Amino acid sequence: MRERLSFYIQRHSPIHRLNPFTKLTLAFALVLISFFSPWYWTALCLILLVIFPLAIIGRVGREFFAAALRLLVPVTGFIFLMQSLFLPGGETVLFRFWFLRVTLESVARAFLISMRIFGMVSSFILFLLTTHPSELMTDLTRRGLPGTVAYVIISTLQILPQMQAKAQTIIAAQRSRGLAVEGSFIRRVRALVPLVGPLVFGSLVEVEERAIAIEARAFSATGPKTSYREIDDTPFDRTVRWLMVALVVLSLAARFFG
Amino acid sequence: MVIVDLQHVTYRYPMTEQSALEDVSLHIEEGEFVAVIGPNGAGKSTLCYTVAGFIPHFFKGELEGTVEVAGVESRQASLEQRVRSVGLVFQNPFNQISGAKYTVFEEIAFGLENLGVSRAEMPARVEQVMALTGITDLAERSPYALSGGQQQRVALASILVMEPKVLVLDEPTSQLDPVGTREVFGVIRNMALRGMTVLMVEHKLEWVAAFADRVIALENGRILAEGTPAEVLTDERLLEHHFGFSRYTLAAREGRKEALWPPDRRLPVTLDEAETGFREGLRRP
Repeated sequence: MRERLSFYIQRHSPIHRLNPFTKLTLAFALVLISFFSPWYWTALCLILLVIFPLAIIGRVGREFFAAALRLLVPVTGFIFLMQSLFLPGGETVLFRFWFLRVTLESVARAFLISMRIFGMVSSFILFLLTTHPSELMTDLTRRGLPGTVAYVIISTLQILPQMQAKAQTIIAAQRSRGLAVEGSFIRRVRALVPLVGPLVFGSLVEVEERAIAIEARAFSATGPKTSYREIDDTPFDRTVRWLMVALVVLSLAARFFG
Repeated sequence: MVIVDLQHVTYRYPMTEQSALEDVSLHIEEGEFVAVIGPNGAGKSTLCYTVAGFIPHFFKGELEGTVEVAGVESRQASLEQRVRSVGLVFQNPFNQISGAKYTVFEEIAFGLENLGVSRAEMPARVEQVMALTGITDLAERSPYALSGGQQQRVALASILVMEPKVLVLDEPTSQLDPVGTREVFGVIRNMALRGMTVLMVEHKLEWVAAFADRVIALENGRILAEGTPAEVLTDERLLEHHFGFSRYTLAAREGRKEALWPPDRRLPVTLDEAETGFREGLRRP
């Protein structure tokens, strides 16, 4: 079975040591600033001068750039192409092709949009690579997130790969009985029915057992709970968070009053 | 001292006509090991849920009679009280993994967190049950990346760490391979030797004979037979009601027809008893 169930990569780095809530704030702040800021090059600068260096400081550079290359470059490349071709308006025509008219303005706008998306996704990739899901949930629970919500999120993260494995088993079982899962689109869709049935109904039956299992461990006990994991929240963390809030407010202000 | 006391318990699941338990009375002494056998649908799991308080707190339906565990009526018991008095482990090891934790160590500590046990107390308690269940070297592994036998021992440890007074085991090895089965029974034997009160549903009669002080045969929600393993596991009524016998009992029963088994000797339930009996039978003229 697979050991690795999340994006998280365990390393020792200053980024890993940050409080998970600080990292979450940082990720959101980077996204908001790149969207709010009136300055055209903000998103690109944040990517090159903040996100990339943080990935290297966090010692997840290799994994970060691999994910960026495999996922982000194709996606943002496609968005850039589509937006440049189809965004209406603009005076400075760069070239015409069939019925398409590519202008300098549409290219500039497409570049801005794709950089913002690149920044948004890459800052969350960085967040996921350096934050242990358990630590995030423990910290958020301590800050007032209901325990049930945290449980639903974290157990879903863990159970998804298990469901995937089970789906593979069911597919193999149905194929060994002669179910055709390859071929035309219609045939593939029809092949889903004998897969989804056992998977969904099987999971529903399991839900009851799982509920009993966690109740047997006092999950819905009403008394105060404790946590084995201890999560540091240093003055530095608080400073970073307030700084981020300030920067978001500043970029918003710059947009409306600048 | 009686620690589990069921008096005339009748229970019907919601939306069903037939009672899953019918006038069941059961008393378990502290430190006693009671095994429950019975065919599918006999009410074995229902009995486990009743003793553990999941009936009536988790499953609704109609419960008659009284259920007292460690002196507390289960209808009045809070979840904390119930968890601290009865630990429940069931068949499927995979479904007992909480999914909330990424290491075996934290998985075991999950119950302690929910009970509000102080953080300082946790490591010692978790390490102790890991040693007891033989999973110390798995502490940092993901609870999902384990074999069935290992997972079931994690499930056992996760319950034992809360120090329940009674351990209820619902077919704890039915989904395990022979190696996993031996590992889990090894832990259960350890617990029994330490004086833990155990109620175990189990199909593997050889193990029942080896462990139990008392055996209860359930059928259609009623107690069919009750007594020592030697009495119950050789009771001819078990064959009539399709419970089956262990291979040792069956072999001796056949042997008796061929005069290989001493006619005045009762049928064996363990390997040792079978061996002694057959040796004696073969020595006779």
